[in-house]
This record gives sequence, structure tokens and C-alpha cells, in this order.
Amino acid sequence: MKNTVLELKDIAKYFPGIKALDKVDFTIRTGEVHALIGENGAGKSTLVKIMTGVYQPTKGTIFRNGKSVQFKTSHDAQAAGVVAIHQEASMFSELTVTENIFMGHHLRKKSGMLDWKAMTRHTAELLDKLELDISPDTLIKNLGTAQRHMVEIAKALSVDAEVVIMDEPTSALSLKEVEELYKIIRQLKNDGKAIVFISHKFDEIFEICDYFTVFRDGQYIGEGEVPKSSIDEIVRMMVGRSLNQMYPKKDPKIGESILDVEGLSLPGYFSDVSFNLHRGEILGFFGLVGAGRSEVMRTIFGIDKKSAGKITLKGEVLEMASPGLAMRKGIAYVPEDRQEQGAILEMSLSHNITLPQINGLSSFGVLNSRKERGVTEEYGNKMEIKAASWKVNANTLSGGNQQKVVLAKWLATNPQILILDEPTKGIDVATKAAVHEFISEMAAEGLAVIMVSSELPEILGMSDRIVIMHEGKVTAVMNRDEADSDNIILAATGHGRGEKK
Amino acid sequence: MNKKMEKILQNRELNLVLLTAVLLIAISFRAPSFLALKNIERIINDTAILIMVASGQLLVILTGGIDLSVGSTIAFSGMAVSMLNQYNPEIPVVLLIFLGILIGTALGAFNGACVAFGKVPPVITTLGTMSIFRGFTFVLSKGQWVTAHEMTEAYMNIPKGKLLGIPNLTLWAVAVFAVMFYFIRYTRSGREIYAVGGNKTAAHFVGVSERKVNFMVFTVAGALCGLAGVMWTARYAAAVNETATGFELQTVAACVLGGVSLAGGAGTLTGVVMGALFLGIINNALPVVNLSPFFQMGIQGFVVLAAIVANVLMEQRNDRKLLAGRRR
Amino acid sequence: MKNKIVMAMLLMALVSGFVFANGGGDKAAAGAEKTKIVLLVKSLGNGFFEAVADGGVEAAEELGNVESIYMGPSSATAEGQIEIIETLIAQKVDGIAISANDPDALIPVTKKAMKAGIRVISFDSNISAGGREVALAPSDSKLIGSQQVKLIAELCNYKGKIAILSATAQATNQNEWIKYMKEAIKAPEYKDMEIVDTVYGDDAADKSYREAVGLFEKYPDLAGIISPTTVGVLAASKAIEDEGLKGKVQITGLGLPSEMQHYIENGTCGQMALWNPVDLGYSSTYILARMIAGDVAGKAGDKVDAGRMGTITIGPDGNTIMGEPFVFNKDNIAKFASIF
Repeated sequence: MKNTVLELKDIAKYFPGIKALDKVDFTIRTGEVHALIGENGAGKSTLVKIMTGVYQPTKGTIFRNGKSVQFKTSHDAQAAGVVAIHQEASMFSELTVTENIFMGHHLRKKSGMLDWKAMTRHTAELLDKLELDISPDTLIKNLGTAQRHMVEIAKALSVDAEVVIMDEPTSALSLKEVEELYKIIRQLKNDGKAIVFISHKFDEIFEICDYFTVFRDGQYIGEGEVPKSSIDEIVRMMVGRSLNQMYPKKDPKIGESILDVEGLSLPGYFSDVSFNLHRGEILGFFGLVGAGRSEVMRTIFGIDKKSAGKITLKGEVLEMASPGLAMRKGIAYVPEDRQEQGAILEMSLSHNITLPQINGLSSFGVLNSRKERGVTEEYGNKMEIKAASWKVNANTLSGGNQQKVVLAKWLATNPQILILDEPTKGIDVATKAAVHEFISEMAAEGLAVIMVSSELPEILGMSDRIVIMHEGKVTAVMNRDEADSDNIILAATGHGRGEKK
Repeated sequence: MNKKMEKILQNRELNLVLLTAVLLIAISFRAPSFLALKNIERIINDTAILIMVASGQLLVILTGGIDLSVGSTIAFSGMAVSMLNQYNPEIPVVLLIFLGILIGTALGAFNGACVAFGKVPPVITTLGTMSIFRGFTFVLSKGQWVTAHEMTEAYMNIPKGKLLGIPNLTLWAVAVFAVMFYFIRYTRSGREIYAVGGNKTAAHFVGVSERKVNFMVFTVAGALCGLAGVMWTARYAAAVNETATGFELQTVAACVLGGVSLAGGAGTLTGVVMGALFLGIINNALPVVNLSPFFQMGIQGFVVLAAIVANVLMEQRNDRKLLAGRRR
Repeated sequence: MKNKIVMAMLLMALVSGFVFANGGGDKAAAGAEKTKIVLLVKSLGNGFFEAVADGGVEAAEELGNVESIYMGPSSATAEGQIEIIETLIAQKVDGIAISANDPDALIPVTKKAMKAGIRVISFDSNISAGGREVALAPSDSKLIGSQQVKLIAELCNYKGKIAILSATAQATNQNEWIKYMKEAIKAPEYKDMEIVDTVYGDDAADKSYREAVGLFEKYPDLAGIISPTTVGVLAASKAIEDEGLKGKVQITGLGLPSEMQHYIENGTCGQMALWNPVDLGYSSTYILARMIAGDVAGKAGDKVDAGRMGTITIGPDGNTIMGEPFVFNKDNIAKFASIF
């Protein structure tokens, strides 16, 4: 029943000085969802690029239906029915859905002219099959992240792909959208497609995948059937050791209230948001993508301007006019997108860490290098940043270490309130654990922490209290002991009990 | 390749030193006298003005902008100061230099205001002021030149005199380098330039004012152009309306050669100085290597482009090495 | 009625008789009525044309019976010049020499003037054929080329290596002059001289300077530089001065006296040339005066005796060349530097 459609044997890929992949075997069968698991830098992306013809392997052979093939370009791979849906959807935002789907393989009339009628009809059929309620003529820029992803899938279907590779397809999707994606994946599976599913999240892997292969440091580590394996087993394969404790939660010593937010509103994003925050507390913020959580944080930090409401910090009512003011009042904000808003990649680690407080580290505009070095070393070491020197640029670090740099930068400002927006998004398991441990420690030391997260296990594992938002409104506030995944999801989808504590 | 060599090659400036050495050797085959000490001294002196203005251009490019008006700013401030010298020969040269810097600062501040407060993109702003400042120069001079016999000896001696055997112009460039090096490396404002250029959003999040930085870089660039205007007119003993036409592209080329990213956020002053010297060597070598003048312009462009490509390739190699080092 | 007409005619006769008598009296006093020659320039207040006017006055004094009148619009427009020519027709002057703001726009009005018996020529910026009788150009490429060689030869005693510093490699006038320089240097008196190189300073001070220094490097025994461009001759002079080569490397070229005064006075540049506006005014006045007097018709081949300028030959279509550019040196530079 399950036929091998694509087989990679003894694949190696060397870049000058790096063995990105070595001795890799990988087998894909029809009607199966195959999880490709590994930490960041394990070589998953390189393997995907080899399967889709972007890279040529240094060594090894690819077999398509048992025949040795070479994918010299992504076109070759596409022609052979191997298609990848990328992490960051590569779409043309100024073009329509139809134009995007048929980019590169336009349908033509006999005269050689493009047959837009047929293409639009096909697109409508594909969208219908995926139960997507969008018009083929919609511009991509008017679609949400999830919808774009669905269009990518439609694009893969449009070329009759037999092998569909999904690179972290759920990372930008809300729970509801993830459910829809699962439905589509199951449908594809039933249609006899082979699916490669790359993910960090174990709940997803156990939900949707049949089989898994684990990579570490560019090498094949092992494989197995998902239902017959445990999370711990897979984690051990991934990181080479067992993670005894996923969420190192320390006993909280919750102190007096420090931040009081009342009726905060920003039209179009959120309205009437109220909550309070105590010293030593980790306050989780949960909600679906677009619930308005990040916008609330941006407003508290003075990036966006509120239209109504009151922010009280230690009894003082504040008009948060700018990030500079918020910083001076002891608030630190670690934004979600560290590439765009966090670290300055072309700057050295030291300069990154001291940037928020260069005013304090300089006199008459001249920087005090000795003090700067002191701050860098103190917080850099505290965060256990792994780098050759404090002088190297942030872009030479891995994603996890970059995140640590951003955390160190904000901690160095000695804040009283630390706002973390998706602190572990896109970083590998080991760094994730380190970040969690650090958050617990900081809270234990009396820091008030707000943690915005879309990962339910993280929210449940880390938070003392949880604020749940739905479509710009707070639908529930729960204590740690009364929260479970069911009632959180209900509140996050607008079916909550509405009670506030 | 051994470890030491690898370490050396990781530095983009050192790449450029290597390329410069190759260039010098190639030139000396055709013109052996080119490597004479006197000639080297002459090249450095000849590049001094480019170094001054390119370091101003560096600041603007670091923020992700570009200043196309530097040539016109040089022309205007040079003409204004020359005319002051012509009609008021009693004004001491120290004051003239100061006035030159002041005039350049004012023009630069105008650029800065348009970019920072008017939100006009730098390319558009300076494309406009490039013509406007040049036009002002014509209006001011009524098309007339100021030449040697209308200038005072003292004025013409600003760049020409020597101190300890080193021409004043070279010393001025060294002084500008020292001040700018300190400014970029050790002051808050210098750091903020890199922050804004590297990541506007992140800089905003830590309370760095993009407006302030934009205004500042154009103003500083203008000030340096003002100084360069005095030096230029005094050096060639002529203030003409066409002074420094096309010079803006030389300054941009010096920056790019020196490894400054046009996207902003990355680049060093030493790199820019090396880039400027590289261009200076080409400019001074072309007249002596016996090539058809019809080829000269093409060859100049070719050498600059080849140097940039070589530099980028070497850097990519090193990046991969660095990456490999990290993975290991 | 008839009487009235007779009366009027008598009256007119009386009046005119008085006028004529009066005029006759004047003529008698001056010996003869002066020929009115107008120098109509592009605009007033320009040093170059002030010098043209001086030349006109100089010629008028030499000729004796000529009155030189200097006119021009306040701004350099063809309309302004047309207006003035209309007035001049009404005033019945004898001749007009025009430096035109537009080669074609003036033709209708100058034709009208010629019809009214006024002799019209143009100089400096000429009017197209048909709109004037003679068009006087300051010089021509051949004269410029040979004179430049002569000037540098005089400076370096007829021997040594000579280099040319031009503007851009594509400048047609420069290339013409250089062509004739290379031709002129073949003459026997220049047998010990050779043109070794031609370089291009693009009419930019810095590039010209660099090219000059490059020449010193390339030819350590260089005797002289010819730079037939105002930017080039200035930059090369500065380079010679800065490099301490004054006296070793000679420089000549085409330069503006006011710009070059410094280098000519301190001996860096022994002599240089440029068309002289005084000569232009002088020659134009001479040619017009000879035409009005009937000495020449103003046709091709006519030879005009133009005082100190020697004989000027009218060319085909009236296109006429004045002569060699004027030579500036230590003795006359101060005077001309104040003019242009």
C-alpha cells in the first residue's frame, strides 16, 4: 500500500569548511506524513533544499520511484512532483492568488497567449477543495498569514505534486487555522500524497505525523513510527540527552501589585483591556494570532498611542508617550520579531547589550568603555551567551543566542517589569529550556514578568496567572491551578466564561 | 591556510590593503617611479579632500541614506569663502576656515531638516539640493571665478604649507580622521548612527531618535564639505562654479570600496580611508601609465568594480569560515 | 484753399531750409560730417564688451571722421537688440556692428536696416548669412594652433619635449586646435621640438592638476605644456608652481587674463593668448568705416586695411577672420586683467 516515492541515500552536502549534511538517508512513502525533526542548524533546511533542487548534493543519490534522478533546479524537482511550502511564504504580494499559484507554470492557449480564464477556474477549484473562502482575484497582500499559507498549499496542488514538503507550516497560524491545516494534510494523505512535515512542536508531531526521522548536527540519528514512540525518546535523539524538566517553574513569591492597566483601548486592535501585575509574578498572555496581545504590550511600552484607558505604575498614572519614557520608568519590552525589532545584526554583542542605556553609560556624549565592558560581561555571562567574543556582530550568532542577546540587553536596563513577546518562538529546544529557566529565575528574584505566547504548553507550564484575549478583548483571567488547555482554548476562541479574577 | 592568516583575512580592511598592494605592484610595472616616496606623499595629499568628504558621506550611508549634494556643497562654501577672501583680504584665514565649516554646516542642516523633519527620502532631498546649491554658487559668483591673484597668499597657503615636512592638507585630513574616528567609536551619537542604520525599529524601541540621527549625519557631512570647500579652492587657487562636479560619486565609491553597506548599519572609517586611498592611487596612476585617454574612464570603473567584487567574495569566504567555526 | 497749401509749402521749405542750413553750418565747423558707427553688443555691463567699446573708440580716433557709439540692451535678449536696431534705423546711423544674442531672430530687422542704407556686420556671436554683410570671427583653428606652438617655442628656446593638456577627449574645437599644433610643429624652425603626449583634464581643476603632475612624472625632462583651455592652463600653472618647476617647465595656452594674472606676473606662465575684445571692436569699426567710405564693397576677396591689425580679407559668404589671438604677457596683463 505504502510505496516509496522518494529516497535519499547517503546524501552529503559540504560548504567550504562546513559539513552541512553527512551520511543522510531519508525515505518518503505515499499516504504518509513524515516528520523531519531536529534542532535549528541540524540540517533540515539543507535537506529540503536538496530535495527541491535548490542545492546539489556533494555526495549521494536521490531515487524517484526507484530511479536515480538529479534535480539540477527547483524546476526539475517540481516537474518530478516534489514541491516545498516554505517557512516564510515566498509570494508576490502585489499579484493575485491566481497569478501566484500559476507563477512559473502558466497555462497557455494554443495561440501561446496566457489562458487566464482556465487558470482562474483551476484556482477556484483548488480553493474550493481547500475550503478557502477567497476569490482567485484577491491580491496576496490583502490576505492574512494563514490564508497565504493555504494559497501556498494550493500552489503545490496545482502542479500535481506527489511529495509536499511543509517547513514549519504552523508557526504563523492560529489554533483554528492549524486545525484546518490538519484537515487538509489528512485529505492529502488520503489522496495518496507523501508529506514531509517539519516542526518543533511535539504536540503537532504526535497529532498529525505517522513516521519520523531525527537529525542532529547534519547527521542522521534515527527514525521510527510516531505512535510507537514517546516525546522523551524523540527529544533524547534530538538533543543527545534527556530533558528531565521541560518547564523549570520555581515557586513564586508574589509581591505587591506594580502595574495596573484599566480600560486600555486602541481602536481596530483592542478595547477595554484591564489587568494587573505583581512583583515576582509571571503573567501569561494567551490568544489566537490577531487577538491583540502584542498591540497591548506595544501600547504599554509607548510605541503605539492609546486612545483611552489608564496605565498606573507603582501608583503613578503614566502617559506612555515614547519607549524612552517607558524604559526610564523601568519597563523592558522584548519584541516578538527579533530580526526586525530585537537585535541589531550588524552591531557587536557588546554594543547591542548596552544600546538601551548609552545615555547612562556616557558623560557629555562620550561613552565610558570601561563601564560598557562591565555591563556587557555581567549580563552577557548571566544569559550564558555563547560567542567567541563580545566584539563579534550579532549576525554571527545562532537564533537562540541572538534571543539571549536581546534578553541581556533589556535586563541590563535593570527593569522592574519585563514584557516578553513570544520569547521562545523559532528557537531550538535546548535554548528554549535555558530561556524558560532564566524567566523563572528572574521572577523568583522579584521581577514582574508578562509573557505573551501562542504555545499552550509554555503558557500552562510557566504562568502564575493567565490573561486570555479574543478579538481585542480580555475574555478570561485564570489562576495557574484553575487553567487547563480546554478552558483556555474555549476562552481564546470567544467561548469563555468571562469571569475575571 | 594557517590560523593567523585566516584571522587576518577576516578583516575587510585588510582585504583592501591586499588589493591596494596588488594595484600598486601592477602600476609600478608600467611606471616604476610611481612608488617613490615623494609620489606616495603626493597621492596621500591629493586624496586628503576625498578622505574628509567621504568620512561625512560614511555617516549618511551608515544611516541607510546617501548625500548627493556634497560636490555642490563644496562648490558653494568654497566660492563663498573665496569671495570673502577676495573682497575682505584682512579677514584672518582661521576665521575663513571657520566660516567655511559654518556655511557647509548650514547647507548640511538644510538637507538634514528635509530628511528628518520633512520626511523626504535622502536621495530625493540631496538630488534636489545638488542642483540648488550649485545654482546658488552661480548666483553668488555671477558666473565669475575667483583665482590666484584675487586670493591672499595666506589663503592659498592653508593647504600648501608644511609642518614637519608634511603638507598641511594631509594634516587636516589626519585631524578630520582622528576627530571622526573618536566621534564614531566613542560617542553616544556615533553609536546611535549604527543603531538607526542597522535596525530602525529596534533603535526606536530602545529610545534612539531616528530624526535626531538623520539631522545630525547630514549636518556633519555638510560641515566637512564646508571645510573641504576651503581646502579645494585654496589648493587649486581657483574657485569656479564647476568645482567638485561629480565628486559625490567618488565619495560613495570610496565608502563602498571600504566595505560600507549601502543598506546602512555596517562600515568603518578606516575602511573608507582605505577606499579613498585606493581611488586616489588610481586617479594618480592613470595619467602616468600611458593608456589611451579613451580607455581611462572605463579602466577606472573596471578596477573599482573588480576591487569591490573581490572584496565581497573574500568576505563571503570568511563568513563561511566563521560559520563553520561556530558550528564546530 | 489753394493759398493755404502754398503757404504750407513755403513754410516747410523755410523750416527745412533752416535745418539744412544749420546742418551745413555744423559740417563746415567739423570739416566733414562724422560717420556714425554703432557697436551693438549682447548686453551692457559686461567687461568683455566694455573692452570691445574701447577698441571702437580707438579705431574711431585713428580714422578721425568716425563717431563710435556703444549700445546694448540691459539684458542679453534678441528682443532688446531688435528694439535698438529699430531706433537706429529711425536715427539713420551709417553702420552697425552686432554681437547677436540670436543668429536668426535679428535677420528681419537687420534686413530692414540694410534696405534703409545702413551697413550691417556682425562680430563675436555672428548673425546667419543674409542678415549681415560681413561676419567677423576672432580667429580660426589653424591660426590658434600655429600661434600656440610659436608661443611655447619662444618660451623654451625652440627645443625640448612639449605636452598638450586639453579639456575632454571629445571636445571638437580642442581637437581641431591640437591637430593644427601637430601640423605647425613640423615646420623647420621647430625641428628640435616634439609633442610627446596629449592628456585630458576634462576641464576640471582637480583632474587637470593631476594630469599635469602626471606629465612631470612621466617626462622628467619636459620643456613645456600647451593647454588651450582656461581651466587647464590655470591648473597646470598651479601645478608647476606647487612642484617648484617654475622656469624648468614652461606653460602657455588660451586663458583669461583676469584668471591668469597671478601666474603671468610671477613668471610661471611667460605668455598666453586669447582673442582680444579690444581688437574685435577695433577691427569691426575699421571694416564698417571702410565699407561706408566705399573703399571696399564687403564682398568675398576684398582686402580691408584695418590699421594696426594689418589687412583683413573678407571670406566667402562674408565670413571673415580677424587674425591671431592676442598675446598677453607681463607687460600688458594688468591692464587686460581688469577688463576680462
